Amino acid sequence: MTVLWIPLSAALAIGLAALATSWAQSKLGPALAATLAEKPELATTAVILLAIPETVVVLGFVIAVTILLRGG
Amino acid sequence: MIVPMIKVRILGPGERLGSVLRAVQDVGVLHLTAPGPVSAKATPKAPPVPLRRLGQLERAAADAETAIALLGLHGTGREAGAGSLPSLVREVRRIRRTAELLVERRHALEEERALLQRYRHLFEALESLLPARAMAPEARAYQIVLRRDQASTLPALRHAIRELVGDGFELPTRTLPSGETAMLLLVPKVGSEKVERLLRESRVQEIPVPGGYGTTLEEALPRIRDRNAALPGALERVGSELLDLGTRNRDVLFSARALFHDELARLAALPLSSTTAHTFVLEGWTPEAAEPRLGAALERGFGGQVVIERVRREEWRADEAPVVLANPRLFRPFELITRTLPIPRYGSLDPTPFVAVFFPMFFGLMLGDAGYGAAAALLALVIHRRSRPDTVWRSVAEVLGACALFAILFGLGFGELFGDLGRRWFGLRPVLLDREAALVPFLGLAIALGIVHVVVGLAAGAISGRRTEPRKAAGKGLSAIMITLIVTALLGAVRILPRGFITPAVITVLVAFPVLIVLEGIVAPVELMSHLGHILSYTRIMALGTASVMLALIANRLAGAAGGVVVGILFGLLFHLVNFALGLFSPAIHALRLHYVEFFGTFYSPGGVRYEPLAHWAPTVGQARMT
Repeated sequence: MTVLWIPLSAALAIGLAALATSWAQSKLGPALAATLAEKPELATTAVILLAIPETVVVLGFVIAVTILLRGG
Repeated sequence: MIVPMIKVRILGPGERLGSVLRAVQDVGVLHLTAPGPVSAKATPKAPPVPLRRLGQLERAAADAETAIALLGLHGTGREAGAGSLPSLVREVRRIRRTAELLVERRHALEEERALLQRYRHLFEALESLLPARAMAPEARAYQIVLRRDQASTLPALRHAIRELVGDGFELPTRTLPSGETAMLLLVPKVGSEKVERLLRESRVQEIPVPGGYGTTLEEALPRIRDRNAALPGALERVGSELLDLGTRNRDVLFSARALFHDELARLAALPLSSTTAHTFVLEGWTPEAAEPRLGAALERGFGGQVVIERVRREEWRADEAPVVLANPRLFRPFELITRTLPIPRYGSLDPTPFVAVFFPMFFGLMLGDAGYGAAAALLALVIHRRSRPDTVWRSVAEVLGACALFAILFGLGFGELFGDLGRRWFGLRPVLLDREAALVPFLGLAIALGIVHVVVGLAAGAISGRRTEPRKAAGKGLSAIMITLIVTALLGAVRILPRGFITPAVITVLVAFPVLIVLEGIVAPVELMSHLGHILSYTRIMALGTASVMLALIANRLAGAAGGVVVGILFGLLFHLVNFALGLFSPAIHALRLHYVEFFGTFYSPGGVRYEPLAHWAPTVGQARMT
C-alpha cells in the first residue's frame, strides 16, 4: 500500500497546491490586466501580486519532495 | 547610497529674478521649492505667471513636437543660433502646418491607391467586358459581382432576367482570381426598373462607378488606369517634399523645442519663487557637493547683487528633501530595480547595493547552468552593443550580464552545462552540490540564504532608522537577533550545532519576546512570524532550480529518444530554447519578488520626493535618468 500512497500523497501535495495557485492567479489576472490598462505604471506591483500566490505551489513542491524522500 | 542634500536660499533684487532663474537653469542642480517665511516684516508672495505667454509657449512646444513627429525626425540636438523666440514660434507653426498638409495629402493618396489596388482585378475584368457595351449603346449597364458561394446562382439569375425583359439583354461574365464573378449586365431602358428590383431582391452586389472618375464605366475605367499609373509618382513626390522639409528644418525644430521647454520650465519655476517690492527669494535643495558650483555661477553672473546661503538643518524636515541615488559604477545598473518601486525617503536606506549582491546570486542559483549562463551573457552583450549609455536597456544589459556570470559560476559548481551534457561530454562534476539528486542540501541552502537575507534586511532597517524611529529600529534589531537564535536552536535540535546551544537560545528568545512587544506593540509577534514565513518563501530558489535542471535533463532525453540524429538535435535545441526563455523569465520574476516582498518589507521606506532640478530640457528629463 505504501508504494501507492507515497506517490499519491506527493502528487496531491503538488497538484492541489498548483490548482490553488492557478485559481488565485485566474482571479488576479483579469483584475491586473484591467488595472494596467488604466495605470501602466503599476506594472511592478502587478508582477509582484501575480507572483505572490506562487508561494503556495512552491511550498507544495517542497512538501511533495519531502514526502517522496522521507517515504523512500 | 542616497546623496546628502542641503537646502539653500537665494536672495537678490526683484528685477534680476528672470536672469537668476536662467543662471540656475544653466547650472541645473537646484530642486526648487516654495520658500518659507524669511522675516517677520516682509511678506513675500509669488510673482504672477504670465498666462498668455504660458499658453503661447505650450502651443509652440506642441507645434514643435507635432512637426518633429510628422517629419519622423530623431535626435536630441540643441543647435545654436536658433533666432529670437517670436520668430521661432512663427517659423515652427509654419513648418507644422506644411508638414500636416503634406501628411494629409500622403494619407489621401495612400488610401486612393489602396482602394484602387483592392478593386484592380474587378476593374480589369469589367474593362475586358466593355466591348459588349459598345454593341448595345442605348442599354442600361449594371456592374455586378457574385460572391464565390453565389456563383452557382448565375443560371437562375440569367433565367429570371430573361423572364423580365425577354432575350434583349447581355450578361457577359469573367471570373476573378478571388473566385468571385464579375458581370456586366446590359438591359433595355424599358425593363430596367424591373431588373433593378430583381437585383435588390436577389441581394447580388452591384458595384457603382467609383466617384471622381466619371459618370459611366467607359469614362471611369481609362481614368482609373491612368490614375493607378500616376499614384506611385505622386506619392514619391509628397515623400520627397516631406523629407526635404525635415532636412531643411531639423536644426530649427530641435532648437525651438528645447528653447520652448526651457522657457516653460522657467515659467513653472515662478510660483516657487517669492518677491517683495524690491527683492526676490528662491529656495531649493541641491546635492551638497554641487553647492560650490551653484554659488560660483551666481557670483560670476551677478557679483555681490545675489547671495546664496545655506538653510540650517533644523529648519527643514528630512522627508521634504528630494532623493538622488548615487552608487558605485558596479552597483549603478541595479538602480533600475530600485527605481521600479517608489523611491526611498531621504534619510532612509538605498537598497541598491544589497540588490546588486543578492539579485544576481539568487538568479544564478535558480538558473545554475553554465550553458544557459553563457547564452544569457551573449544576449546581454547584444543588448549592450545595441543600447546607448545611461538608458534603461543599457542597465538591463548590465544586470543580465551580472546574472549570467553568477549562472555560469553556479553552473560550474553544480556541474551543469545544458543539463547533464557537460557531465556526459566534458566530464564536468558537481563541486558544490548535485541539484539533480541533493534536494535536501539544496533546500537547506535556499533557506539559509533566506535567513541571511531577512536578517540583513532587519539589521539594515535597525541601522537606518536608529535616529528617526529609534523604538521601531530597536524592534527590528531585536527581531534579527531572535530569528538568529531561533535558527540556532533549530540547528541544535537537528544536531548540526551542538545541543548545548538549544537551552540558552530558547531562554534568550523567551526573554526577548516581551521586550519586542514593548518596543513594537502587540503586532510584534505577528511580524516575527511573518519574517519566519518569509524565510520559508526562499525555498522557491530550490524549487525553481530543481525545475530548471529537470527540464534541461528532459530536453536531452527527448533529443536522444528522437528517431534520427538531425531530428534529435533540432528537437533538443528547440526544447533547450524554450527552457532558456523560461530560465530567464522565471528566476528574474522570483528574484524580484524575493527582494520586493521579503527583503524590502524588512526595512524599505518608500515615499521619497523625486529630484527634479530646474535644468535645461532634455528628452530624458522626468524619466529614468541615471544620476
